Amino acid sequence: MMRFFVGRLLQSIPVIFIVITATFFLVRAAPGGPFDAEKTLSPEVIERLNERYNLDAPMYEQYFDYLGHLVQGDFGPSFRYTNRTVTEIIYAGLPITFELAIYAIMIALVIGILAGMLAAIKPNSAQDYIPMSLAMTGICMPSFLLGPLLVLVFGIWLQWLPVSGWGYSPGDKILPAITLGSTYAAYIARLTRGGMLEILSQDYIRTAKAKGLSTASIIFRHALRGGLSPVVAFLGPAIAGLLAGSFVVETIFQIPGLGRFYVQAAFNRDYTMILGTTILLSCLIVLLNMLSDLLAVWLNPRLALSNEKN
Amino acid sequence: MIDSLKDYQDVSFEQGRSLWQDAWYRLNKNKLAMLGLYLIIFFVVISILTPWIGPYAYETQNLALGASAPSAQHWLGTDIHGRDLMTRLMYGGRISLMVGFAATAVSLVIGVLWGTIAGYVGGLTDTIMMRIVDILYALPFMIFIILLMVVFGRSLLLLFLAIGLIEWLTMARIVRTQVLSVRKQEFVSAAIVTGLSHWQIIRRHVIPNILGPVIVYITLTIPSVMLLEAFLSFLGLGIQPPQSSWGVLISGGVETMEEYPWLLIFPGLALSLTLFALNFLGDGLRDALDPRATRD
Repeated sequence: MMRFFVGRLLQSIPVIFIVITATFFLVRAAPGGPFDAEKTLSPEVIERLNERYNLDAPMYEQYFDYLGHLVQGDFGPSFRYTNRTVTEIIYAGLPITFELAIYAIMIALVIGILAGMLAAIKPNSAQDYIPMSLAMTGICMPSFLLGPLLVLVFGIWLQWLPVSGWGYSPGDKILPAITLGSTYAAYIARLTRGGMLEILSQDYIRTAKAKGLSTASIIFRHALRGGLSPVVAFLGPAIAGLLAGSFVVETIFQIPGLGRFYVQAAFNRDYTMILGTTILLSCLIVLLNMLSDLLAVWLNPRLALSNEKN
Repeated sequence: MIDSLKDYQDVSFEQGRSLWQDAWYRLNKNKLAMLGLYLIIFFVVISILTPWIGPYAYETQNLALGASAPSAQHWLGTDIHGRDLMTRLMYGGRISLMVGFAATAVSLVIGVLWGTIAGYVGGLTDTIMMRIVDILYALPFMIFIILLMVVFGRSLLLLFLAIGLIEWLTMARIVRTQVLSVRKQEFVSAAIVTGLSHWQIIRRHVIPNILGPVIVYITLTIPSVMLLEAFLSFLGLGIQPPQSSWGVLISGGVETMEEYPWLLIFPGLALSLTLFALNFLGDGLRDALDPRATRD
């Protein structure tokens, strides 16, 4: 198992390196300079700007320069917001995005696991079909559709909850968290059901039943740990999806998080901002993926073996 | 085709059923999957015929009318420029479905080739090829697609390629696993002994055996690709006006949903229904073609 841990760790390093390098050169290869939008700039000004942002140096020099700064946690200046650095913008936005993602994943886990367990306890009954149909609806109702619909119903028609903002008025975090979490609740419900059904058909569960244990005790003491391992393995990709989903949710609800800055940077062609956020989010995703893999193996050590065989 | 239990019994007594007849029979019994199949066929036929059966021309504006609720002239209402929503939905559906099918086709070609070569050749080639897949898997692809769209401009072709280039990874893994298991079968050894060429073995033995899982995965890739396109278009990073897709229409509908909710609800319904249909069909096909596979 140790070998799996170390191997998995070592595998992440080239991935992160590839991400940084690919992103850097892709962004630099983009047609048009970052100052093209301002038509009024004279050539001298552009030259001075290029000099200030070190854009006239040879490419490899810029690259190593950037890497050097990156190691120190410095993402460089923003091209658009000239008096702010990318690092500052990230510091301002990341905690908000994290908060949103944590609420969403908690909602997804609680609802998803409960629904999946209910379905697995009595498969092919109403207790199975209803939560699973809801889960299918959740999967087919993407956040950019569910969010506006929730706003329309609960914010505009019923006027129960605020339609936008983050931390300005009570309850304005509820709709964004539900919007972001619902799809993952649906996937987690399906994974939990599948995992639990497989575990519940095992011999040791039958033994537990024969011993006369209650259903609750069988589920929580014996089945849950194994039954949830597909869910744990899904957490990494889910968090990656949540971060991408935050682009949409933060745009819909006008939340000043990193996702919204990223989308704005993509529109403004704010190259250093895109570069910085892409690298940061990518590294986060790679690391979280690794953590969820490790957690899954810790829960179910046989996974490490089957991974090595492949 | 086999329609009733009676036909099914006749077939089983007289000639034995092929794997495909078996699968078709099982699929036929799954009502939700069949409903999905009919819905998809319906949507595809409508999309193909749109230029001829569309109730209005795509660009027809009626500024005097403006946004109007569903009525006898405009079944699904009109948008703020007085354009017929149903016409726009039909044209948008063409793009949405086209992205879904085309990007899936790209991923299919790359994934099947990659997986077959890795699985068939085996050894070091296999190890290296699958390591590459592992590394690409770990990349945060959504962010990379956005990056590509920003860097190279938002073109439909690039969208196909970018999405296709990312979705092939799972396909490659599925195909490789399947090829590996077929490769070990005795009938393949027998085929080698009788002197068949590699290409003949692949064509006669490998391809028919990987078809089932591949079809299932295609049906599940199309909705995820369509979702991805709608996601990007919603953010304004996908399909660009004057072209339109369901994602673009949803995004436009959100801006005016307070006054004209139908502009959000109908495009949303179209996208959700299609995703539903494809997912149910995919689940049904998985149960029909691969009864041993567990449902997640």
